[in-house]
Amino acid sequence: MADQALPIRGTLDLTPAQSKRDGMLEILHDWITTVDHKKLGILYILYAILFLLVGGAEALFIRIQLAFPNNHFMSPQVYNRFFTMHGTTMVFLMGMPAIFGFANYLVPLMIGARDMAFPRLNAFSFWMTAFGGLFIYYSFLGGSGLYGVGNAPDVGWFAYAPLTARAFSPGNATDYWAVGLIASGFGTIGSGINIVATIFSMRCKGMTLMRMPLFVWLNLTVSALVLITITPLTAAQIMLCIDRYLGGHFFDTQAGGSAVVWMHFFWIFGHPEVYVLVLPAFAIANEIIPVFSRKAIFGYPAMVTASVGIAFISLSVWAHHMFTVGMTSASNAFFTLSTMLVGIPTGIKIFNWLATMWGGKIRFATPMLFMTAFLFQFLIAGLTGIMLSVSPWDWQLHNSYFVVAHFHYVLVGAILTAIFGGLYFWFPKVTGRMMDERLGKINFWLFLIGFHLTFDVMHIPGILGMPRSIYTYEANRGWGTLNLIVSIGAAIQGIAVLIFAYNMVISLFKGEKAGNDPWDAWTLEWACSSPPPSYNFATEPVVISRRPLWDLKHPEDPDWKYE
Amino acid sequence: MSDTHHHPTGAHSDTIHLPSPTAWPIILAFGVTMLFGGMVTNGSISILGGVLCLFAAVGWFRQVLPHEAHEDVPVQVEHIVIETKRTEVARLVVPEDNRAHLPVESYPVLSGLKGGVAGGIAMIPPALIYGLIAQHSIWYPVNLLGGAGVANWLNPSVADLAAFHWQGLIVASVIHVITCLLVGLLYGAMLPMLPRHPIVLGGVVAPVLWTGLLHSTMGVINPVLRSHIAWGWFLISQIVFGLVAGWVVAHQERINTGQSRPFLMRMGIEAPGLMHVDHHDERNSGDES
Repeated sequence: MADQALPIRGTLDLTPAQSKRDGMLEILHDWITTVDHKKLGILYILYAILFLLVGGAEALFIRIQLAFPNNHFMSPQVYNRFFTMHGTTMVFLMGMPAIFGFANYLVPLMIGARDMAFPRLNAFSFWMTAFGGLFIYYSFLGGSGLYGVGNAPDVGWFAYAPLTARAFSPGNATDYWAVGLIASGFGTIGSGINIVATIFSMRCKGMTLMRMPLFVWLNLTVSALVLITITPLTAAQIMLCIDRYLGGHFFDTQAGGSAVVWMHFFWIFGHPEVYVLVLPAFAIANEIIPVFSRKAIFGYPAMVTASVGIAFISLSVWAHHMFTVGMTSASNAFFTLSTMLVGIPTGIKIFNWLATMWGGKIRFATPMLFMTAFLFQFLIAGLTGIMLSVSPWDWQLHNSYFVVAHFHYVLVGAILTAIFGGLYFWFPKVTGRMMDERLGKINFWLFLIGFHLTFDVMHIPGILGMPRSIYTYEANRGWGTLNLIVSIGAAIQGIAVLIFAYNMVISLFKGEKAGNDPWDAWTLEWACSSPPPSYNFATEPVVISRRPLWDLKHPEDPDWKYE
Repeated sequence: MSDTHHHPTGAHSDTIHLPSPTAWPIILAFGVTMLFGGMVTNGSISILGGVLCLFAAVGWFRQVLPHEAHEDVPVQVEHIVIETKRTEVARLVVPEDNRAHLPVESYPVLSGLKGGVAGGIAMIPPALIYGLIAQHSIWYPVNLLGGAGVANWLNPSVADLAAFHWQGLIVASVIHVITCLLVGLLYGAMLPMLPRHPIVLGGVVAPVLWTGLLHSTMGVINPVLRSHIAWGWFLISQIVFGLVAGWVVAHQERINTGQSRPFLMRMGIEAPGLMHVDHHDERNSGDES
């Protein structure tokens, strides 16, 4: 029972009277004019799920095409568009919105604030992201442009020069890609500024930096990283537009430009982007693993240091994507070593999560199942990453399916798996209802089987020499059976994602009532009702430890005595 | 101004000011996207986007200047009890004999170097004896080691390996000295942390594991070199190195690592309240008295 003398006064939830809704139009008006961080967070997440389904469907079409040798399920042109849009969608339209959705919804609640620092900028950022994404997809209709050729972008998600030059990419397909990402980049920068400002200026009383939940620390780190890394991408895309529209020659090698400059610009953004996506996955793990292990996170200061360390190191590793370009030996050695260096703080994190679980009373509810899978899959992804950081190894396997398998291990095995865990964990807070546990477990096991069938096996054709982005292959290469297995795994993952979507919808209407704190957790968001009122806390909370709800639940043995 | 109510868990007002909902952000975002969109569609789209941006910016400014528009959201009290069914708290007790063994005391860096030098010298005779017995040449093992570092020396014959090559001797000497010093340093750092029988673990078990690792990987790294190595003799020389280096290191005087001191003291920060007397100092002062 709570001791009311303890410091979280905001834990009394003061729910406003529900006003009666007058039909769909008013609901729609509510959502498009909202500046509430929670509604915007939900919009981000829904947007991400929509594009997860779209990008997932594109992946399935790609896998059908590759399932058999000499297959012509789709034309080479459509195939190129699909793998370009799949990559662009999953990174920019699914991954980024998902992480900002979590941050938007949870950061103010976790730090005891009523909203973000700039609520209107928050709304603007979401809508820029949304319109940027929709604009890119509009290219399927309008990409043919004045030349009457082209369609959706087909230059790969990293759009290397000179493929993007007018001579090789007529029509407007590439322009849609560049302009759409510039627009959504504005939204990303706005969100980054907002999250940094919110965390630095709106924490409740007693919440010092070293008492912030690790989720908040990680999102602070990510947002700072976003501000540094999105700018070179935006600059490069503006340079590309100048090349294509104004006759510039930044990336035109025949006119004194350099295709390698594009690579540098892109990967200065591109590799930290991996950490922009994976650090929020760590953030989710930092909240779920302790709650389901019934222990405080192990090594909080080390976790903070490791997170910030990863962000710094990630800024110095980009050219490991360019070993085959022909850099100097010194450059190769530097980027090999700096890439390996990331393994140290990342290893610290993995050991600390394991140490948190060690000796705990672990409950394998669906969120924890996803987190356990995340731990092992991220470990393997990291190990193949270390392998690829060695330049001679990379020379052999660059642009092969081994690399594709490696980064899908990161993006799906770690990030998407953690996002699923996070959605199961915080769904009750957002909707007031629990997600169905039985469907959740089916979702988990199917996804796990499908994932490993796909991406474990995918390493092998890569080692056997199968290049990425290939349209089809000859039967005598010996890749046929492996690709068929990979495609079957992808289909199983697709079924798992559909079960997840069904579970969300059915649980929203028929799920068991959640109450304010269904997981017996310790951070401030669980002190509000589910869903929280628009103002989050009627009175400002006061905290005196990293686990304020633990202090309330265990007044005889509060955390602050030990911190 | 709303009234303030006092509740056992805190004071709150009837209403709370929150920023008003507004359509201007979505209109501005749409305008900016259209502004860009004109580049790939039609100039008129950009003009329309520009007009929308202008309207949205003015509307947005009017929302926040001179005072930010807000709405008063009514507060309705619903008491939420923060409690848990898990009322028992168990603190993990770490038994004294089961805790991580920090190297409270360690060997100085120099002891590791000494061990490496001694071990490096001690492992030379078995290697040379092997060369003499098996190939009738002391240069065979030297060239095997040196050949690993000579890039242009591919697929040497047995006769090549048995002959004297000054390049091989230089490269072998460099590899041997550097490796022995590094492994000696590793022994210096590692031996105090081994739970028991450090010389057996460091002198026998570690060389066996190291030889096994090399044996299993050398076929991939350099199959030709692997075919020339006599692994039994290789293991003997490794064990001789391990025993001698371990013995030399273990017989050096230990020094306090300062692991048990507060972090600030180890950082060299002098401040009140950081006085610390370690056991070593206590012993010394006891002897003096």
